[in-house]
Amino acid sequence: MKKGAPLAQILVFVVFIAAFAVLNLVTPARTFSEQENRYLAAAPKFSFAKLFDGSFTESFEKYVTDQFFGRDLWVAGKARAERAAGKTENNNVFFCADDTLVERFSEPDSAQLTANVDAVNALAANTDADVYLALIPGAAAIWSDRLPANADCADQLAVISEVYSRTDATTIDVAGALEAAADEYIFYRTDHHWTSLGACYASDRILSAITGVGGKAPKSFAPKTVTTEFYGTAWSSSGATWIPPDSIDIYVPQGDAVVKNYPHGTEEDGTLYDMSRLETKDKYSMFCGGNTPRLHVDTGSEGPHLLVLRDSYFDSELPFLLGSFSEIDVLDLRYFRTSVADFIRENGVDAVLVIYSVSNFSTDTSVFLAGR
Amino acid sequence: MVFSSLLFMFIYLPVVLAVYYLVPSKWRNVWLFIVNLVFYGWGEPVYIVLMLFSITLNYAAGLLIARFRDDGRRAKRVLTACVVINLALLVFFKYYDFIAENLSFIPFMKPLGLTLPIGISFYTFQTMSYPIDVYRGDADVQKNYVSFGTFVALFPQLIAGPIVRYKDVASQLAFRANDREQFASGVRRFIVGLGKKVLLANNIGMLWDTYKAMPAGSLTVAGAWLGIIAFTLQIYFDFSGYSDMAIGLGRMLGFEFLENFNYPYISKSITEFWRRWHISLSTWFRDYVYIPLGGNRKGLARQLLNILIVWALTGFWHGASWNFLLWGLYYAIWLTIEKLFLLKLLDRSRIISHIYALVVVIVGWALFAIEDSGECLRYVGAMFGVGSAGLIGPDVLYYLRSYGPSLAVMIVACTPLGALVMKKLPKKAAAVAIPVLILAVLAISTAYLVDGTYNPFLYFRF
Repeated sequence: MKKGAPLAQILVFVVFIAAFAVLNLVTPARTFSEQENRYLAAAPKFSFAKLFDGSFTESFEKYVTDQFFGRDLWVAGKARAERAAGKTENNNVFFCADDTLVERFSEPDSAQLTANVDAVNALAANTDADVYLALIPGAAAIWSDRLPANADCADQLAVISEVYSRTDATTIDVAGALEAAADEYIFYRTDHHWTSLGACYASDRILSAITGVGGKAPKSFAPKTVTTEFYGTAWSSSGATWIPPDSIDIYVPQGDAVVKNYPHGTEEDGTLYDMSRLETKDKYSMFCGGNTPRLHVDTGSEGPHLLVLRDSYFDSELPFLLGSFSEIDVLDLRYFRTSVADFIRENGVDAVLVIYSVSNFSTDTSVFLAGR
Repeated sequence: MVFSSLLFMFIYLPVVLAVYYLVPSKWRNVWLFIVNLVFYGWGEPVYIVLMLFSITLNYAAGLLIARFRDDGRRAKRVLTACVVINLALLVFFKYYDFIAENLSFIPFMKPLGLTLPIGISFYTFQTMSYPIDVYRGDADVQKNYVSFGTFVALFPQLIAGPIVRYKDVASQLAFRANDREQFASGVRRFIVGLGKKVLLANNIGMLWDTYKAMPAGSLTVAGAWLGIIAFTLQIYFDFSGYSDMAIGLGRMLGFEFLENFNYPYISKSITEFWRRWHISLSTWFRDYVYIPLGGNRKGLARQLLNILIVWALTGFWHGASWNFLLWGLYYAIWLTIEKLFLLKLLDRSRIISHIYALVVVIVGWALFAIEDSGECLRYVGAMFGVGSAGLIGPDVLYYLRSYGPSLAVMIVACTPLGALVMKKLPKKAAAVAIPVLILAVLAISTAYLVDGTYNPFLYFRF
């Protein structure tokens, strides 16, 4: 071997590790990753107690990984390498047809699912108000034809029929409405949520179940596009940066509806659409301004008082319900931790809608509060 | 700390190498001694005390054995005491809970739930070889405490081998040349190992995890085979990749360790497989157990008994659980059958003997990988159509498509083909290709480590 050859090998290696060692040292730490939509680990504070229980070294390794120089590029590079190696998924997100990313749905834990169904049944038994249950399937079920062939993904529709067969609540066939519109833009391609269009199709079934009068068809609205730069959670966790962004539409103007938000227990002014959220990465949180324990809406319309126990899918559904109820209370049981039965009694609720995505309903550990 | 981590590659290693080559030669062992302890204590700082105790014990035993060299009985007494203490530490930390669980009818036997000191099985065997070699006259006594400590806790092979015997590195502890080609070969070897671990083993390991997690009754025959073949590839690339990284790091610091793997999956018999798999462990058991027991010199019956003892111990060495013992005995049976008559038959057909060896090894990995005996039985049953959900399912089609190219690359990587091609490469082409490959593997591995959701350490049981 030529004398220069080993030197080149040594230099490539030594320069590479030394360069990134120095770059990591001199670049300031980031607190938030826009691309991954999460807070990054900060340097842990040293203490002997933490050293000896192992938590210091563990946090330190997380810190090194999270703050690695050029992290976003490395993450995207890995996703590209996976695709180049013939993989049809990365970090449990499938690379699907039509520039679509779909998160894997795993077979739910049957104990958790049973507990959650029991909680809904307990709620139905506890209250005189009518209780409705709507489970929203994800793109993995409705757009299954876009998934890679034979994709290893559990059946959400089977979960829905199992839950519906065991619940005492009145069930709402949201899946049917979505399946009928499966060739339309009813889910975001880069996010797990449904689009306003998907929510609009669902509103017809929800309203006819609760009020007896169906919702309006999409074509009777004049939707307004508020962003064309929405990169959702599936985009973030897959690292599939080659996928173009989604757009977000608003179908129903806020009109006379007055929204109160209770982010910390006390009343504040809320909104159906928080436009400032469009400046952040998590643009879906524009709907209702993101997660909050309780929203109260005086719709300005005539009708019953509706209570909704829900996950974030409902944030884009709410506008379609305004015309059919006088008041709508929206609770997120992950944060609103007092008795639902008491809430119903104290606020004169007429009907309760429990609406969750299949994925959240089979994993959420706070649904049991519905039965309290 | 593990090699395949950003912390190791981009903080620990640059600092260790920089200081190592900046200080005068006489300080290098001291530096290595210190950083070895940092490496060892990173996860469990308390166990540094255990490490220091182990070093001191064997160091003192070596001195005493050397002093009593003329008095065989006293030297032997020291050696026996030292070996017993070494083994007692290993048994206490690694097997006490297992023993306590199985003897739970004894009132004071309660599992303690201690964390296993990382690499204890490796370094106990390593340190024990020293007083034995000194006693046998195979190695000179080491009077320098730091040099001895450097040997025992040498970070490249501390936690996952190869098991380096003292006599193999004794002279290198005193003198190591600064050789550019040796450093370069260390870089090449480390990169090969890094690629095996991060790009191949972690990749295929996810496939095994998928199949391992499948509920009983939903496994198809093809699925069960695909799953365990994935593990077969994972453990080989993980373990041999780790050994490659160790050998490479050793060379960067001027040490030469013996080889640990030699393309085990191209074996034509189980006898051959164990000459190619985890060579440093089989060599250790051969030199320090099998041959002292009489090896093959005391008749066939005694030889078969010796095989049984060695393989029961080998199995148990891999972890404190019945399935590892079963796995060792499984090999004892195959080795006995081969010794008695099969080996002669296998010579007749290369193809059949390759298939035979692979199937035995793959089924063996099922015993190794699935700790719960009921689950293990169900899994092996499914491989042979007992209680399986048919021959093949859509999951197999999906995963074959998704992992197909990786599987093809890995199967080729199990053979000497890649090394052969590199050797045949014209010098000029190699001068360009090797640095480019080094950069490519480094960069892609870094990407996988930065997005490192899956980077298991398989030897925490060893």
